[in-house]
Amino acid sequence: MACSLTDPSRAPVAFGRRTVQQLFEELQQPEAGSRLRALASLCDLMHDPERIYHTVNGGFLEQLKVVFKDEDPSVRAKTCELLHMLTTHSIGRQALLSSSLLPPLYQLLDDSSSSCRRNAHQVLNRLTMLRAGANALLTLVPKLVLRLREEEDEEVQVLLLSTLSSCSRLDALPALASDGVSLLGHKLSHCSPDIRREAAAAMMALSVCEDGKRQVCEEAVLPVLVDLLQDKYIEIQANAAGVIMYTVISTTGKRQCLDLDVIPILLDLVSKDKEEEEEKERKKALVMYSLRALTALAEAPDGRRLLLEQLPLLVMRSEAADEDQDIRRAAQNAVRVVTWTP
Amino acid sequence: MAFVSHSQRDTNGSYTFSSRPRPVENRSKYREPPSEQTHSNYGNIMYDRRVVRGNTYAQHIIPTAAQLDPSEIQRQQEIRRRAISEKRAREQFISRTPEALQGRKHIDVQTDLYLEELSDVIVATDIECQTDAFLDKPATPLFIPAKSGKDVETQIEEGELFDFDREVQSVLEVLVGKTIEQSLEEVMEEEELACLRATQRAFEELRNNELAEVLRLQEQERRHSKEKERRISQQKEVLKKERETAEKIAARAYTQQYLADLFPAVFTSLRRDGYFYDPVEKDIETNFFPWLTSEVNKSLEKRFTARALLDTIICDVAQNRLEAFKDTQ
Repeated sequence: MACSLTDPSRAPVAFGRRTVQQLFEELQQPEAGSRLRALASLCDLMHDPERIYHTVNGGFLEQLKVVFKDEDPSVRAKTCELLHMLTTHSIGRQALLSSSLLPPLYQLLDDSSSSCRRNAHQVLNRLTMLRAGANALLTLVPKLVLRLREEEDEEVQVLLLSTLSSCSRLDALPALASDGVSLLGHKLSHCSPDIRREAAAAMMALSVCEDGKRQVCEEAVLPVLVDLLQDKYIEIQANAAGVIMYTVISTTGKRQCLDLDVIPILLDLVSKDKEEEEEKERKKALVMYSLRALTALAEAPDGRRLLLEQLPLLVMRSEAADEDQDIRRAAQNAVRVVTWTP
Repeated sequence: MAFVSHSQRDTNGSYTFSSRPRPVENRSKYREPPSEQTHSNYGNIMYDRRVVRGNTYAQHIIPTAAQLDPSEIQRQQEIRRRAISEKRAREQFISRTPEALQGRKHIDVQTDLYLEELSDVIVATDIECQTDAFLDKPATPLFIPAKSGKDVETQIEEGELFDFDREVQSVLEVLVGKTIEQSLEEVMEEEELACLRATQRAFEELRNNELAEVLRLQEQERRHSKEKERRISQQKEVLKKERETAEKIAARAYTQQYLADLFPAVFTSLRRDGYFYDPVEKDIETNFFPWLTSEVNKSLEKRFTARALLDTIICDVAQNRLEAFKDTQ
């Protein structure tokens, strides 16, 4: 529908197979306005999987390299948006990974225009949905942590955090090495809920490995997390519960959490109030994580003592017939650990 | 003049010629040796008859170059040949009458029926005529054919040629269709992505759950095994200590028993080796006895020397007696 008469910000589009080819030819024009229009039309077209296939197979991606170095920031931002559209599909993601477009993209992360940076981060975020993409971005993690420190724009921060958490799920060591835990601890107390949620998710990914657990205990992040457990948003609560769940597996974590008196809070979360149907769905993760955290805490004698008093609650959770399978299993596990005697 | 020009053979065999520029001399065709007064004929080039003046477009200038190209030469030869042949051809058709006798002349005479004046001058008269100036052509009358047939008329009403609603329908269809197509695509894409994210999230949750459980169990295992190891090592320590203590006790008992009769044995051996001695006895032994023996030796020595002396005396005497006896024999 891109006709120059109807929409002056779009270039005219040829028909059928010539579409993509012609628009890319127009990209070679020296005039900046026509390039912007061609890019806008391409962005519109890329919603169709077939066009993505044409783009990828026609080998037009290499031509985008030139456009990346364009002087006009809106052109660069549009190119990033185009890549963003491309990465919605697996073919696009794989093509992007195998092409040599990633280094110019990394350079764009330092760009002066904020919309350009935002789009570049969106591309990276989408890319991490693919495991190979997350793999490729692992080398970039230190730089991303650095950018996170300096970035003020909230949207970009959210994107950065989610990229970091996806990469760290694969391998947490680079992020841990660049002192990610303390930085994320800062972000946990940010005012925006999105940032808190993403920071908690990233922290959860980081705390899976031994080193991460140790750092979480050392950096005194646990009090903040316990506060987050009582946050308004369920996702933030779930993520915080996840971090705690991982941290209490280690002994120091157990001790710190017991000192912070976290068991009543977790029990509160697990207890079955009158929930509606769709809240149950969202709360499922929260309940599961809390149950697992309680299970881990029950291995310590103090924890076990406290939990033995509250045993009926857990038993109720485990026997309920309309309960989700996973929750029931987790609750039975918890009961078993609590009632274990040497 | 001739001395001004130089012509010589160059080193690589080519021929060079050089001369000072000078105006062309006025010479007759058949050369005479050049005279020295040629300088006086030197005049203004503007008034030189030999210089071509005016339009040169149609003039055929004989090139002054002495050398002609061989092709030029050939062409000129051909032209000459052609001229000659043409002339010969022309001459063929000219009837050859015998030449006029001396004092007479041939004259052309006409013997045809009608006398024609043969003269060079052709009588010509000039006549001219002129057409009248053009008059304007009157307008042609309109050709109105005779009326035949029926009168029919037609008129296009207001909304008949172009009905906006009908026309706009197709355009609108395309516009709306494309927009909806595009938006449908975008919505589908977003839905797909949302679905993907939802499944991803569910998977992540389950994974986290199971991972936590696995890690907890791992940690538990590790703790248990560490505990076990610690207990085992503790037990080992205890056993070792016990063994050491038992060994120590046994060693102590044995040593005690071994050293029980140490004292008497020591004393007996010392006494045996003479470390306990009576000083007077020792003194007697060390001082008195040697002196005693030496005194005894001395006295025995005296006796011995005395005996030896006696022996020699006896021997001497015996010898003397023997000699004396031999002498007397």
